[in-house]
Amino acid sequence: MAVYVKDLIRISHNWVDTHTCDVTTRGWILRLLINITASVVYPPLDDSCPSTTMASLSEEVLLVLKKVRQRKQDGTLYLMAERIAWGPEGKDRFTVSHLYSDIRCQKISPDGKAKIQLQLVLHTGESSTFHFSNDSSALTDREAAKDLLQQLLPKFKKKANKELEEKNRMLQEDPVLFQLYKDLVVSQVISAEEFWANRMSTTNTENTLSDKKQDVGISAAFLADIRPQTDGCNGLRYNLTPDIIESIFRTYPAVQQKYGENVPHNLTEKEFWTRFFQSHYFHRDRISTGALDIFSECAKQDEKGNVTHLELYRYIRSGVLNVLTAEGLPKEKKIGGKPASTSNPNRTGKENSNSAIIKRFNHHSAMILAAGSRRGDAPNDQASETSSTDGNSRDSDLFQPPIKKVWWSIDYLDLQREDGPKTVALNLKKSDRYAHGPVPLESQKYTTSQDIINSITCIRHEMANYVPNLAQVLTSSAVSSAIAALSPGGVLMQTGTQQAINQMVPSEVQGELKHLYIAAGELLRHFWTCFPVNSPFLEEKVVKMRSNLERFQMTKLRPFQEKVQRQYLSANITGHLEEMLQTAYNKLHAWQTRRMMRKI
Amino acid sequence: MATCFYFLGKKIFYFENNEPEILLHRLYCHTHFTNAVKCCIVLHCIRYRKWIFNVIESDVQKGKASATALANMKLNIEGLLVYFPYDYIYPEQYSYMLELKRTLDAKGHGVLEMPSGTGKTISLLSLILAYQKAYPLEITKLIYCSRTVPEIEKVVEELRKLIEFHCKETGEANNFLALALSSRKNLCIHPEVSALRIGKEVDGKCHSLTASYIRAQRLSDPSLPSCRFYEGFDAIGRQVPLPPGVYNLDDLKEFGQKKGWCPYFLARQAILHANIVVYSYHYLLDPKIADLVSKELTKKAVVVFDEAHNIDNVCIDSMSVNITRRTLDRCTSNVETLQTTIQRIKETDAAKLKEEYRRLVEGLKEANVARVTDVYLGNPVLPAEVLQEAVPGSIRTAEHFVGFLKRFLEYLKSRLRVHHVVQESAPQFLKDIFQKVCIDRKPLRFCAERLRSLLRTLEISDLTDFSAITLISNFATLVSTYSQGFTIIIEPFEDRTPSIANPVLHFSCMDPSIAIKPVFERFQSVIITSGTLSPLDIYPKILDFRPVTVASFTMTLARTCLCPLIVGRGNDQVALSSKFETREDFAVIRNYGNLLLEMSGVVPDGIVAFFTSYMYMENIVASWYEQGILENIQRNKLIFIETPDAAETSMALEKYQEACENGRGAILLSVARGKVSEGIDFVHHFGRAVIMFGVPYVYTQSRILKARLEYLRDQFQIRENDFLTFDAMRHAAQCVGRVIRGKTDYGLMIFADKRYARADKRGKLPRWIQEHISDGSLNLTVDETVQMSKHFLRQMAQPFRQEDQLGLSLLTIEQLESEEMLKKISQMAHQA
Repeated sequence: MAVYVKDLIRISHNWVDTHTCDVTTRGWILRLLINITASVVYPPLDDSCPSTTMASLSEEVLLVLKKVRQRKQDGTLYLMAERIAWGPEGKDRFTVSHLYSDIRCQKISPDGKAKIQLQLVLHTGESSTFHFSNDSSALTDREAAKDLLQQLLPKFKKKANKELEEKNRMLQEDPVLFQLYKDLVVSQVISAEEFWANRMSTTNTENTLSDKKQDVGISAAFLADIRPQTDGCNGLRYNLTPDIIESIFRTYPAVQQKYGENVPHNLTEKEFWTRFFQSHYFHRDRISTGALDIFSECAKQDEKGNVTHLELYRYIRSGVLNVLTAEGLPKEKKIGGKPASTSNPNRTGKENSNSAIIKRFNHHSAMILAAGSRRGDAPNDQASETSSTDGNSRDSDLFQPPIKKVWWSIDYLDLQREDGPKTVALNLKKSDRYAHGPVPLESQKYTTSQDIINSITCIRHEMANYVPNLAQVLTSSAVSSAIAALSPGGVLMQTGTQQAINQMVPSEVQGELKHLYIAAGELLRHFWTCFPVNSPFLEEKVVKMRSNLERFQMTKLRPFQEKVQRQYLSANITGHLEEMLQTAYNKLHAWQTRRMMRKI
Repeated sequence: MATCFYFLGKKIFYFENNEPEILLHRLYCHTHFTNAVKCCIVLHCIRYRKWIFNVIESDVQKGKASATALANMKLNIEGLLVYFPYDYIYPEQYSYMLELKRTLDAKGHGVLEMPSGTGKTISLLSLILAYQKAYPLEITKLIYCSRTVPEIEKVVEELRKLIEFHCKETGEANNFLALALSSRKNLCIHPEVSALRIGKEVDGKCHSLTASYIRAQRLSDPSLPSCRFYEGFDAIGRQVPLPPGVYNLDDLKEFGQKKGWCPYFLARQAILHANIVVYSYHYLLDPKIADLVSKELTKKAVVVFDEAHNIDNVCIDSMSVNITRRTLDRCTSNVETLQTTIQRIKETDAAKLKEEYRRLVEGLKEANVARVTDVYLGNPVLPAEVLQEAVPGSIRTAEHFVGFLKRFLEYLKSRLRVHHVVQESAPQFLKDIFQKVCIDRKPLRFCAERLRSLLRTLEISDLTDFSAITLISNFATLVSTYSQGFTIIIEPFEDRTPSIANPVLHFSCMDPSIAIKPVFERFQSVIITSGTLSPLDIYPKILDFRPVTVASFTMTLARTCLCPLIVGRGNDQVALSSKFETREDFAVIRNYGNLLLEMSGVVPDGIVAFFTSYMYMENIVASWYEQGILENIQRNKLIFIETPDAAETSMALEKYQEACENGRGAILLSVARGKVSEGIDFVHHFGRAVIMFGVPYVYTQSRILKARLEYLRDQFQIRENDFLTFDAMRHAAQCVGRVIRGKTDYGLMIFADKRYARADKRGKLPRWIQEHISDGSLNLTVDETVQMSKHFLRQMAQPFRQEDQLGLSLLTIEQLESEEMLKKISQMAHQA
């Protein structure tokens, strides 16, 4: 029944992503290295590597590798305390230099390839590739560089990336902000620092909010989702994604612990996962585990955890257990049913494995459930354990009456009158009105219901007594002109119905206008936050903002105006924007003149 | 009320006030004490702090609970004023009280079926309480028997609510004493003893501290350990009756702590004069326990067996004896201990044995007098004839008796050495024993009584050690007393493992009426009630009594909140059934799996699935696992499975509830007749659907069952098949009924076996389930089931308010008193 895994996780692709990531658990950091066996298409080398400056020579050099080619040019690779650099042979300046904090990840060419290469991918998306061409030691050179980088990168990553990632995340999550960023930063109206300077302060609060984002639970079937594929030659291949690995770790902390203990030094992670799948630990119907198996310990540990839990259970006077062990219940054997005992030593292997499956399922489900709330209740668990091991306190715990539970179960809620404030069921007659919200009142003068009733009776009264005076009617032409004037679009109706913008301009112009408004709003916000100007920094900023605003007007607003004018002659839709800008200029002007006056 | 304070066993202080805090404070301030003593008192304070707070807290909680507004519902049940502590009443509760009242009036027994979740307990309690108040001479006591500790506690809490309401309405102070009684394990407050937590150990330890002769020894040797709570109880508690009130187990413990009295013995003494006693079945049905606890209960009592659908099995269990080789080995060592003790006593205190001999000559006259004058509850192990005679001479002296026991043991050992199954009746057994070892019937009959006397005389403290020999002596008495209703089966090995010798002697009771007979004879009214007692006529038959009322009440519903569906076919038209021939059929197993899989995608929150037996469940789970069905189910819900281990199961159950609670949803696979199927309710989202895979027949190949069926056929004219179906259906109903716990609850009940569609099976379901099975839902495929479930669940998900129920399934007092409604209710009752 069980599928035995012969050969696992083959790496057969061009590039293997050696992706390092940190998993922080219970205070200690495990560095995990995850091989993703997904084919990575190696991007063509681009020539946009940033030119580098000469490094100050005081830097500590950790590793020097000769005969490393970069863009078909021989050179030397230096790994230093804070950056990696490459200089062409014979020159004493680096043409390539990356701070570690700028590097997102490193990739290596798979074993067996003719070219032995190492690629560094930067956060900006750029990359540089180094080709190790030293015939004798190319591979060892590359390994040395890779290992060192593996150690170094995470250190810097944590520090530098947090901010960058945060920014990245914010941009990704907020399309409006992203557009703003494009409008202002990419088009170089303001610099990125300026843009973020104002944002980051607010991010801190947002940050805490987003940190509390609900944890995503683990799919109960995640192990089932790792479908092995046969590869034709009597082997099986499992595809592991970081998600699955995280799921495994979260569900089975024991495996994670094993990983932490073994992987960096004893095993490669590939071997680790191979063993994981080979071990019966993964197979829930395993019967016995070899002593050599590193996972047998995991299994034992799990079992132990289970047992201690159970022991706790047996001792804690739990209501549920009481029900299950109460004397009043019919014992299994009863009217002849065979005693369903598992303690029976003479059960067949099949039966044993069946009950093992059942245990495994219970355990698995419990682990998954616990993984969802592990962080929350870990201290609780400990608390309860300590309190129950402490003999004295346990005695007094006994007296805690389980009243709450009992009350809940004996109350017939529907037999009681409903307490609490009476609520009225929301009954919407016109749901569209509910959706559109309240309609603003034209005038501030409200009429009381009495007024309305009075006026209605008044009108009714008049209508009842209405006698048409046929001698004094308008001429037909006058009537038709009056009707025309009062119809929508007529002269008299002009002011009442402001034509909505969505009827005037096509949607793409609207969109553009919206972006302009947002960008202008952002800039103006920056501008207005400078007031009151009470520090030299703000003074400088306010002047800079003015130039920013002007630049915005020139580079963004003008072209738009021209475009609009080309298409729609009359519509003065940017009027308000200009007005706002003008107000800002006026304010600045007033401030400047006042300052001049004061100086004089 | 006053409290004494003991210090190193001496009474040092006497207080009028019972506030523990004040008490300890005053104690501390007392000038006579040295600093060392004060130190001790501070330590006491620290130790009791938690307890003190608990006292205060629980008082607050109780106050809160009672503060929930109780309106006045005064019912007129055929001239009896009944206070009902709720604002509304279900119509069936009214009918239930009506029938109950008639039963009590007639001083007869009754069988009443009413669905769970319709407030059976509170109706019962309020009517009997009112009856007791109105006719204090007719009924002096209510003995309420329930099955489990949580159920007992629940009943007492309902009672508390009722009595509080009663006092409030009448303005009188409460003069009722109501209390719960449970084993030492649940009541002990001695810090060391209660820490043992295992019933037998607690009992044994308690014995070793409180047995009368040990206490007598302590007089001469004060260094022996003692239980200060028992001493306190013995010194004062015996004379002071428990003040009126409602005492749950925790209240008793609290009271015991406060007074320094042992709550267990206090409760045991108090049940004699309490108005309402709530305890477990065993205190009345198990002859060994009943003799100790319930012997002196008054005749004018109403006995209620709640959740009594399994009462016949409890009766049978309490009278059956299983003897294995281990039992016999332990007996042998017991006998040896007896022998050495006798030898020792003979050397030191021969007078004691002589005294015993004299007593035995005089016979058991005292007991006889008591029974004749109706003071004691009869004990089926102590038959009437025994009481009139003196213990026969052959076992009167201690040595002779021990020799006799030895012979008996040897005989049993030889019987266990068989290689084939033996089944014989009690007379055959007696004949054989007479021929082989010359043991007569008469001394055998006195065996139990003689052993008890001997153990008393020998002052053996830890009776738990002697459980084996007590068991054997009980067996001896039973086998020689009852020539009918019992069978002896000796099996040399288990059926499944014929190669391993594990001989067992089953002395099996086949007639549940034997154990319950004294109860019916002694007490004025015995009410048997449960949510599932259908078919009603079978219980009077097998328990051999004549009820004055037999009634089944249905649940009046404003909306059909239960949806029983019978799934007879898979999508591929394969007939679904758990019958023996198709048990291993992969098509059936696969279709069962499909059903569960489909339902797991449709039903929100919790699903409970029941299998017919543990073995069957193991096999199905294994093959579902192989077929990958479980993995697919896991995509929808977490899976938890019942195991034979109670602790493991309760952990799985708790996790299951957690998963339902946090919205992930879960499936619990469990076994009909198992622990989950009987004791656990799946209210609201804890169970939105229950699936019954197969018909839960008992294991029919068992010889004990076969013997019982034969007996039923010969004695009660109940056909074997009828009984088997009845038994299967009552368990199916129990399982399925777990899901509906009230009128606001709702749930699917899926019977996945085509045999349920047959009239003889369906007709044995309780009426409240039966009437919702439509003809269209008798033989559904899996797909159709899913469609109907979807429809049902969508309907049920609509808001359901109290107004929707009012006037239909929920009545105010005005509505109840209206002419029209009374007519309707009486009509309903006639239908039943």
